[in-house]
Formats: sequence, C-alpha cells, structure tokens
Amino acid sequence: MAGKRAARQQDTDEQPAKASAAASVGVDDAARVLLPADCRMAAQAALKAELLGALDAGAIVLDGGQVERVDTAALQLLVLFRRELDTRGGTLGWHGTSDALNEAAGLLGLAQLLNLPAAALA
Amino acid sequence: MAKILAVDDSASMRGMVAFTLRGAGHEVTEAENGQLALDAARGGSFELVLADVNMPVMDGIAMVRELRAMDAYKGVPILMLTTESHTEKKMEGKAAGATGWLVKPFDPEQLLATVKRVLG
Amino acid sequence: MSAVDLTQFHKTFFEESREGLDAMEAALLALDSGATDHELVHTIFRAAHSIKGGAATFGFADVAAFTHVAESLLEEVRSERRAVDAGLIEVLLCSVDCMRAMLERSSQGQPVADAESEALRVELVQLVSGEVAAPVVAAASMVAPVSGWNIAFTALPHLLQTGNDPLRLFRELQQLGRLEVVRAFITDSAPAQLAELDPSQCYLGWELRLHGAVARAEIDAVFDWLDGDCELAIAPLAEVAVAGPVAQAAGESLPVATAAPRPIRETAAASGEGSSIRVGIDKVDALINMMGELVITQSMLSDIGEKFELSQLGRLRDGLVQLERTTRELQESVMRIRMLPIGSVFNRFPRLVHDLERKLDKRVKLELHGEHTELDKTVLEKIGDPLVHLVRNAIDHGLESPAQRKAAGKSETGTLKLNAYHEGGNIVVQISDDGAGLNHAAIVAKAQQRGLIAAGQELSDAEVAELIFQPGFSTAAQATDLSGRGVGMDVVRRNVRDLGGSVGVRSVSGKGSTFTITLPLTLAIIDGLVTAVGSERYIVPLTSIVESLRLRADAVRRIAGGGEVFHFRDEYLPIMRLHRAFACNDAVTDIEHGIVVVIEEDGRRVGLLVDDLLGQQQAVVKSLEAHYQRVQGISGATILSDGSVALIVDVGGVVRLGQRSKAA
Repeated sequence: MAGKRAARQQDTDEQPAKASAAASVGVDDAARVLLPADCRMAAQAALKAELLGALDAGAIVLDGGQVERVDTAALQLLVLFRRELDTRGGTLGWHGTSDALNEAAGLLGLAQLLNLPAAALA
Repeated sequence: MAKILAVDDSASMRGMVAFTLRGAGHEVTEAENGQLALDAARGGSFELVLADVNMPVMDGIAMVRELRAMDAYKGVPILMLTTESHTEKKMEGKAAGATGWLVKPFDPEQLLATVKRVLG
Repeated sequence: MSAVDLTQFHKTFFEESREGLDAMEAALLALDSGATDHELVHTIFRAAHSIKGGAATFGFADVAAFTHVAESLLEEVRSERRAVDAGLIEVLLCSVDCMRAMLERSSQGQPVADAESEALRVELVQLVSGEVAAPVVAAASMVAPVSGWNIAFTALPHLLQTGNDPLRLFRELQQLGRLEVVRAFITDSAPAQLAELDPSQCYLGWELRLHGAVARAEIDAVFDWLDGDCELAIAPLAEVAVAGPVAQAAGESLPVATAAPRPIRETAAASGEGSSIRVGIDKVDALINMMGELVITQSMLSDIGEKFELSQLGRLRDGLVQLERTTRELQESVMRIRMLPIGSVFNRFPRLVHDLERKLDKRVKLELHGEHTELDKTVLEKIGDPLVHLVRNAIDHGLESPAQRKAAGKSETGTLKLNAYHEGGNIVVQISDDGAGLNHAAIVAKAQQRGLIAAGQELSDAEVAELIFQPGFSTAAQATDLSGRGVGMDVVRRNVRDLGGSVGVRSVSGKGSTFTITLPLTLAIIDGLVTAVGSERYIVPLTSIVESLRLRADAVRRIAGGGEVFHFRDEYLPIMRLHRAFACNDAVTDIEHGIVVVIEEDGRRVGLLVDDLLGQQQAVVKSLEAHYQRVQGISGATILSDGSVALIVDVGGVVRLGQRSKAA
C-alpha cells in the first residue's frame, strides 16, 4: 500500500510538465493567464487578482502546463472564475494542463466545471 | 521530501519525531515552544507543522492561532501531538485551526503513516 | 518499514523527566506555602503530562499508567473543579516521589511498578472524581460488509483553514476502494462575485460513492479530523446479507490510541554510560572565542620562530605574555564547564523542610540565597549529603518548638537560612538558624560522659563547638526518627574534608547557630605556594596559608616528647619539620635559616618548616593514589614548569599530625 501511495505521489509531484494537447478555443485573440507551478493557497491572492483582471477579455485561455502543486482552494478559485465568466458570456479554454492539475481535478470531479479538455481525463 | 517543523518542549519526544522524519528523508526544523516555532515559521516555508499542546512560553493552541493568522500558513497542515484524548482539547485545537492530531503514545510507524496521510 | 531504535532517546527522556519532577515538586511546595499562581498549576500539569506522553511513547507502561491517573487529578485542579488543599499537595508530593522511584527503576531496567506505587495509584484513582477510563479503542463496531457507501460531503467555509484539503481526503478514500464522484457542486453560500471570494474559504460539496467492502470505521477514520468542519452523511449502498464472522481488522485506522506494550529493553546503554553534563551555550561560546585567540597567538609566535632575529625579542615577549593570558583564560573557561549552580542541591531543601516540619511539629521558614553560585560538578554531587544532614540537624536540634519559641519571645516560625557565595578561591556555604544555639552545658556533660573530656575541664566556646564534630557525639535528648541514624557531625566533617573543604560552627546562645562549610572551587586545580625542602619541592595550598615568617631560635620552645612549639598570635603552635616528616636530605635544619609557613585547617594551626619559598603557582592535581599509593600528609602531585614533580601537602593531614605531636 505504501508503495502504491508513493508512486502516486511521484506522479503528482515530479512529472508535472508533460502537458497535454492544448484546447483550441480562439487561442489567438484570447487573454492568457499562466497558472504558477505552486498553485496552492499562498499563491492564490495573486492568481485571483490576475483572473479578475482577465474577466473582461471575454475569451480566456489558462495555461496550466506548469502546475506542479495544486490544492482544492486553487481548483475552487478556477471553478468560480469559470462560473462568473459564464454569466458574463465569456469562454474558458486551456493551453496545456499538467498531470498534477488533471489528476486533482479528476479526483475532485471538477473537470467538467472547469471545462478541462476531455482528452486529458482518465 | 517535505520541510517539516517539529515543536515540543520535551527533548526526547522532539528528538524521536525529528529522527524518525529525517530517516524518512524529510527536512526537519526543531523548536522548543510555540514562540520559537513562530520565529522559525517566519523564516522558513514549512509544509507541515507537528506541535505538542502543552508547552511553556507559548502553548500549541496559541501557536496554531498565530500561524493561521499568517498568510503563508493559512492552509498548511498542522498536527497536534497530544496525550489529551478527551474531546475538549481536540476541539480547542481544532477551533484554533489545527488540521488533526496524533495521540501519544505513537510509534515511528504511526508517525510516518500520519505524516504521509497529510502530505498526500 | 522503518525500524527506529527508540532506546536512543531513553536517556534524554529520563533526564528531562527528572527535571520535570523537580519542577513539579518545587511548584507543589510553592502552592503549599500559599501561592495561588495559576502558572504554578500549569507547570505541575505540564510536567506530569510530558512524562506521561514520553513514558507511553518509549514503552514504560507502568510509569505511563501511574502518571495518567496523577494527570487526571491535576486536570481537575487545572480546570478548577478541585480545590488545592494540604491533603492534595501531600498526595501529589508522594506521587512525585513515586514517579521518581519508578523512573529510576525503569532506567535500571528493573520491574517498575511495586506494591507501594500500586497502592498510591489506587488512592489517586479513588480521588479522581468519576471513573478513570482506561484508554478505550474507539468501538470498531458494526463492521458489516457492504458493497459500498454513499457519502454526502459538503465543506463548511472554514474547512480549508484547518489545513485539511478535500483532495487529500479523496486520495485516502481512493485507498479504501473505487471512488466515484457522482456530483461536485458549488454551495449556495459561495459569493456571487469572484471579487468577493476569499480563496481560503471553501464553498464546495460532493456526492460520492465508494465501491468495495469497506468498513464504516475506515471511512470514519478518514473524516476523523473534520468533525465540525463539514456536513457529512454516510449510508451503505446496499446491505449484503452475509452474517459471517466479522474478524476483519480495522485496517490502518488513525489515530491509534493504544500501542502494544513493549518489553523494556534497558541495557548498559541506559545505566552504564558515563555521566554527562549540560553546559550553557555561553560557556561553549566563550571557549571557542578563547580558542580563536589561542590560534592567532600561536600563528604569531610560529611566525616569529620561522625567522627569528634578536630585534624581535620585544614581539616575542609580547606574544608570550599574550599566550600566558589566553592559556589562563582558556583554563578558566574549561574549568567553568564543570561548574554548576548550587541551586540544584538547594532545590531539594524546600521538600525536606516541608517533610520535617510535619514530622517534628515545628514551623520553619526556609530562605535560600546564592543559588546561582557555581561549583565543580564533583564537589556538587558530594556536598548534598552533608548539607542535608546539617539542615536536618538545624531543624531537629537547632530550632525550638513553636511553644518554646513563643515562651522565649521569638516568632513561632523559625528561620533557616542557606547561603552560598564565593570568597577568594573558595565556595562558602552557610546554614544558619535562629534557634536556641548550641547547648554548652549539655554538650560538656555529654562529652564528659563519653570520656571525650575530663571532668572539670575548662573549655572555650570554640572548643565546646568543636566537640560536636567528635566521632560518636550526639546530644539529642532522645533518638528521634531523624537523628540516631548513626550519622553524626563527624561524618559531615569527614565528607567535607574529602572534598578538600572544612566545616565549622559559630553559635550564640538563644540566638542560633551558623554552620559554615568552605569548599574549594574545584578539585582539579589549586593555587599553591611552591616551597623548597632540600632538593625537593612541596606545594602548600594557598587557601590554607595564614602567614609565613622567620623565627628566631629563642622563639621556639621544646616540649615534652621532643615536640617544638612557637608563640603565634596568642597561642602556641606546633612546628612541623617537613624535612623530617617526609625524610628529605640536605634540608635546612636550623629554624633560623628556614621559613615557617603557618597553615590552618578547621581553626587549628600548625607551622611548617621549609627551606625557602619559591613562588606561587597553579597546580593541576594528579592523584597519587591513582598512580602510586596513598601517602600520609600528601594529597597529590603536580608537574612544575621545569618538568619536575612536586608533591602537594595535605593540610588537614599535616595539621592532624602536628596536633598529635603537640598533645604528645
């Protein structure tokens, strides 16, 4: 059991950069927000400010390819961002999602709410 | 592995915890009481704090409260190492913002399992 | 898994537990004398608490069980459900003794609980209101096998701020079985605007299914820490009608409240190790500083030595002066490492006095002064017993009963003062009481009865006081529980002498007595006067020298039996010819050509005849016994700066020899 757990941990912690195929939602004229490698709670005040600044752009692409560490708070922030974007008629696309991001979103069942590319989901 | 802050006024307990965690590859900083732990926490970014409840100068519960007031430690797991098995103490710790607890006596295996549990 | 050897922490555990018990005892005694400081109660509780935790962790189950009950009692005091009274303090003091003894036995690998500790434990259990629950394993009931569970889990906003992350919980659930997220949702309490979101608040909820034969207790364990942080509903997916034996272990349930009692594996590791010493970091730092200076001086000197020219003589001399200074400071720093405050010995007296007050029905106010005075660890360890005896003696014989004191116009409470201070190269410890003082008549009568003095012999106050240090002397009207143990003041004096010290008493009738112990700072180094006797060198400890003088031949009187005496400050002192005592050749035999060094021990003086005085020097004492054999009148040897060996005069021994020759 310990071995299995350790292996899983390695998946999430140490091989983050294998980004999956980028979604192709109007990449050219969209505002892009890069998610930091450590996306956990301490980083979220800055991330929130950046997302708020991007809300008006209409089409937004998140770059999650660098994400190594992520927590529920980060995914919640993105979920609420998506919801607000929806009510404003904007669209959310992804340019790169790391394994760590995909695993966390999948486990919490938030992939759909985040509009994550279906291909990335197990 | 992870940077862990171990806080206990008992040198033997602290030694046991630090030794066990270092053996598992963690980087451990030791502090003798809550006040010293806060000083250490300000200077370093710990991913887990293990703290005794009853300590001189500043006890574990006050320490948790102070840590939670710091932006960098809002979501960091803090485990109380305690022999207090009765619920009031646990609740007091929880109200202050502790993540969970490890009830003494624990052996190195239990400690490592719990640490693994919170670090994911 | 890891096999951490916990025995390596046992020694630290015993040490800190002993300190904890000392702190507990001191705080209890402070409470007893009327202090109501809440912090005292905390100190007591904290000490018991730490010992219990450590004992349980390191496998000393008996100690843990005992301390657990004591702690429960203390918890009642701490939460003000129980008032502090004399009875409670008495029981807790007994508990401290009991824990101390149990730990002592643990550290020696002996059976820990005994009839006494068990009786006291039962007494404590009865005191604690309600039942003292043995640590009960959470009822792992209802382990009905099911095909899976529905889990409705909604975070309360503060959940993330406890450091608990649903992500982690889900991973744990995944370890138990296949986890399916049926639905994830944003709760109604979430802010409508992203701008209003506090990212550390949580507004998510889930409906989960956990597939597999998972015990309910295993799920409960996952959510164990989240009581009050979430809304949680757990229901079986479908009952499986198999009523087989439910022998399934409750998996890796955490936290675990019980640990299998481990056998005590005490070996020589715990008991047979050399003693250690705790040194303040400031002392170590001072040492390192000094070492740094030494290195600088050394490199400077070797620089001069590389290419020496006569013109550099001044620099060389400067360097040597510096070397001497640094070496001396280094030596002092090193010695200081062995120095510990006498407070650690004084600390046991509040308890002793407390117990004696009760036993002897006396009222005593204990005053401690100079607890921070430091002395050598070896001396410190050995001075405890003599001090205990003197304190006992002062309360037993010195201080009067409250009634007697009142009748004498004194306060009913007697005062016992312990004071320690440095004086020259010595430590002075004084034990003074404001009791009746030495009873001269009783002492003289007793001494006559014992045949120590002749009937009708006139004695000065000082001579009477000296009598109580004679072997076998005791004036107690009846053998109380405390005296009558066969330990008299003579043993105290012998113990103190073994430490290179002396003890004396001053007494004023009706006002009290003061016992004064004078001890060397350290046993390892003495300041000595180097003297020449023939071709040999003898060192006389500086602290015992009264005066050095030349005598004219006519100042010396011969007495019966071949002894010589001379007049010195109102008394006649015996002359001890060192060349004769130690059989030295070619020494000065004519008193007019030699020098007489007057030395003193316990108020008794002797004049030593030597050839000449060569100067003062610090001498590192080497034991003769260890390297050769014990020699009467010699306490050790040392090596002089020219490499030759000098013997150190044992002042006590020489004085006794001299007194004998005077009496003869």
